[in-house]
Amino acid sequence: MSGFNVQGLTKRFGATTVVDDLDLSVEDGEFVVLLGPSGCGKTTTLRCLAGLERPEGGHISFGDRTVFDSGRHVDIATHKRNIGMVFQSYALWPHLTVRKNIGYPLKVRGRKDALRGGAVERAAEMVDTQALLDRYPAQLSGGQQQRVAVARGLVAEPDLVLFDEPLSNLDARLRDQVRTQIHQLHQRLRFSAVFVTHDQSEAFALGDRLAIMKAGRLEQLDTPQRVFDEPASEYVAAFIGMGNRLELTRGEAGWRTESGEVVDLADRTPERGAGDRAVARLRKQDLHLLRSSDQAPAHHVVLGATLVTTEFGGRHYDVLVDVGGQQLSLEADTREHGAWLREAAEGAPVLVGFAPSDVRLFAPDLDEKPQTGLALTGAEARTGGTHTVASGV
Amino acid sequence: MTTTTTAPAVSQPTAQPPVPGRVRSAVDRFTARRGWGARLGYLALVLFLGYLVVLPLYRLQALAFEDGARGYDAQYSRPDIGSVIWTTVKLGGVSLAIAMVLGTLLAFATSRLPAKFAWLRVIPVLPIVMPAIASVSGWAFLLSPGPGYLNAAFRTLPWWDHLESGPIDVYTPTWIIILTGFGLTSFVYLFVSAGMAGISAEHLEAAQTSGSSTVGVFFRVVLPLLRPSLVYGGGVALLLGLGQFTGPLLLGSNTGVKVLTTEMYRRVSESPADFAAAAAAGSPLVILGLVVVFGQKALLGNQSRFVTHGGKAFRSAPARSWWAVGTVVVYGLVALVAPLFGLIAVALSPYWSETIQWNALTLDNFRTLLSTPDVIDSVVTSLVASSVAVAICVPLGFAMANLLVRGRRYTVLRLAGDLITALPLGIPAVIFGVGFLLTYTQPPFILYGTRTVIILVYVVLMLPFATRLQMTALLALGETYAEASSTSGASSAVTNVRIILPLMRPAILSAVALMFILLTHEFAASLLVRAPTTQVMGTRLYDLWANGFYPQVAAMALLMTVVTGLGVGVAMLIGGKNVLDNL
Repeated sequence: MSGFNVQGLTKRFGATTVVDDLDLSVEDGEFVVLLGPSGCGKTTTLRCLAGLERPEGGHISFGDRTVFDSGRHVDIATHKRNIGMVFQSYALWPHLTVRKNIGYPLKVRGRKDALRGGAVERAAEMVDTQALLDRYPAQLSGGQQQRVAVARGLVAEPDLVLFDEPLSNLDARLRDQVRTQIHQLHQRLRFSAVFVTHDQSEAFALGDRLAIMKAGRLEQLDTPQRVFDEPASEYVAAFIGMGNRLELTRGEAGWRTESGEVVDLADRTPERGAGDRAVARLRKQDLHLLRSSDQAPAHHVVLGATLVTTEFGGRHYDVLVDVGGQQLSLEADTREHGAWLREAAEGAPVLVGFAPSDVRLFAPDLDEKPQTGLALTGAEARTGGTHTVASGV
Repeated sequence: MTTTTTAPAVSQPTAQPPVPGRVRSAVDRFTARRGWGARLGYLALVLFLGYLVVLPLYRLQALAFEDGARGYDAQYSRPDIGSVIWTTVKLGGVSLAIAMVLGTLLAFATSRLPAKFAWLRVIPVLPIVMPAIASVSGWAFLLSPGPGYLNAAFRTLPWWDHLESGPIDVYTPTWIIILTGFGLTSFVYLFVSAGMAGISAEHLEAAQTSGSSTVGVFFRVVLPLLRPSLVYGGGVALLLGLGQFTGPLLLGSNTGVKVLTTEMYRRVSESPADFAAAAAAGSPLVILGLVVVFGQKALLGNQSRFVTHGGKAFRSAPARSWWAVGTVVVYGLVALVAPLFGLIAVALSPYWSETIQWNALTLDNFRTLLSTPDVIDSVVTSLVASSVAVAICVPLGFAMANLLVRGRRYTVLRLAGDLITALPLGIPAVIFGVGFLLTYTQPPFILYGTRTVIILVYVVLMLPFATRLQMTALLALGETYAEASSTSGASSAVTNVRIILPLMRPAILSAVALMFILLTHEFAASLLVRAPTTQVMGTRLYDLWANGFYPQVAAMALLMTVVTGLGVGVAMLIGGKNVLDNL
């Protein structure tokens, strides 16, 4: 197996540029996740790697073998690229048994030795489908079908395994199972892989590195931990779960909210070109709900807010509050806050607090709303349209 | 103090850098390079089909325009040309109206059948199995003014007992049109019921729970949703009606009922044959066919837009509508049982008279028929020509379907292929018959009198069916199965053989069954390209008819029906019982 290298990849559909001068390099045995909302070009990138789409420009090599080069007129056909691919719709051929489906890549590549040597059975065993070998795809559940598809993608030990949102058609429980199975297989076999998804939890769980895409370009390429800790832009932050957005303006006394409350971030500095205005991004788990009487932890920023809605979520309440016209969502522990929250009326005054170290500051990104694909609250929808900001003195 | 800041242009997307000319042209050359083999293959295929389909039409027009359009002059200066065209228009229009109403009604009725009568669904399709020439002669045996069995029965009724003949005269334009409409009903039914399969049961249930009656559901929900199928099916039925040949020829010849198609036949079969005038006679039909074909392309555009997936099918709607059972049964009796009865009665009688001689019933007609070498020859020729043509059409249609569905980058070839494969549906078979007769009685390929020319004209006639049915199946399969195969390391040839063809098997067998039925029935084009020594079943039957051997006509018609039925049976044996469902 080998890694691959992409340079200047460009793909257009008509007048629309879907992949825009993309560079991406993946090491041998690395599992890279392309993460982004629908329409960001991640699936198109994957299909260019597979040779299912023909790019307008760029260079793709697998190891030291060039499979596509627009300048040198190289375009190796899909079936000669030595890849495996797992599709969102499973794409198991309904007229072939599971055994024949898994064995197909070996058969069409003329690998009779592997077929005779039990490669199909071993591949089926890897994904716990050895008991299903003589069934037809229509007799399998969705999860079983996708595991068979994974076995089919891996059986010929291709240079590169491509996953095109393979878990999206599965229900939540199966999704976790198959995800874990793919992860274990990669730990064991160390194949090079590109995995396309719009689900941040899949990306974090599976990727050695994440490539977050926006409008056909890479917004950030880094390890899951670094992406989680240091999102490169507000777009990335929003996409990986920092759903709360607070617009800030720099005054003489430091950062203030739109309603003029001081936000003392101590030594936190904006990570990307913030001038006098910035956007603070926060995970809802990092926001704390306080009553006026509560004592905030030391060095926390505390802002006055009013209650908008509360929804019971078991261990916690999903709470939506309004801070000076900007809505923030947070989770309030049921044991700690349940008693009074049940009684609290809409519009009740509360406080929200957060540690400055949990905040990420970005330059405002006003003309483009990131589609996060996550369960964001109304906070997202409310903010962002404001172009005129009053800086209080 | 208030300051106003405008939104910074941080994230404004940078304008796309223009593609350097060098890269652009490289891409173009590159596109031209990859797949040049496939492009050449498609080019050869389109040229071959173009030769087959377009050349005969071109030759006809060239001839009609020779000598200062002498052919047009000859045909359109005839004193009766006005009435010919008017009869043709009536035939097309009225039979279309009859077929649309009956076909839609039947499609709705079969969708409302109670579960235990679901098998009745096959009835509206069955008349297709019966050759047009057989049902026309069957009706003649029933409704001929003199010895027609039904007429004779009607004359026993008190208010008609004074009549010497009639009351119905099947040889008049009115009845020719009515019977043509009946014949077209099955085609409209096929289109409309396919359209109904695309309407989800929930649409109907929503209307019913909102308080609509069955009639209300039909007019307020079903009909509007069916509009595309109705327009499409109506277009096809109109062309078939205008190009109708069998009914007018068999029933109208002696009473002077003339339409454009029978005029064409007459110009070619009279002595001396006037191909130029025949070509001119067919021109209005060619033009109309072109208009409809182009119009449908323009209206429907990309056919993949009309592929729907999932959802509860219309047919799954539970219903207990007894009117539906009644409608389907009455249609079956009238369209199927009645003409069959006429045929069987005459076939078993020594001669055709207005009363059936129950004690004189005999199988002699069948014996005579089966001991006539010419008849056996015609059966063999029909079977051989049909089978070979089908065997040629399936791979041709598969290749063309691939070009139309997957060949997005071959813009010109695709457009040409699309039109060539649509033309034979728009232009009446008679015209292709005349064109083939003209083209293949002269160099470079003199094929007149051989089975080859019959096979070639059959291939042309079936091209639309072979292509469209496989195209629909390809569209329904989608791209993913093929992509999964190529990412597994299979070349496109291996993908076609191992994945696509097996998955398309039901659709291909349906296409085979349909084409076999249509070809063993083929009469119009066959009548023109046949030679006295090379006949098919339909043309033999016509000779018997023209010579007045009516009991043998009936026996021959039944023989044709049985041969077709056997063919369909074989198709069902191989392809499963559902072969006809996919039509």
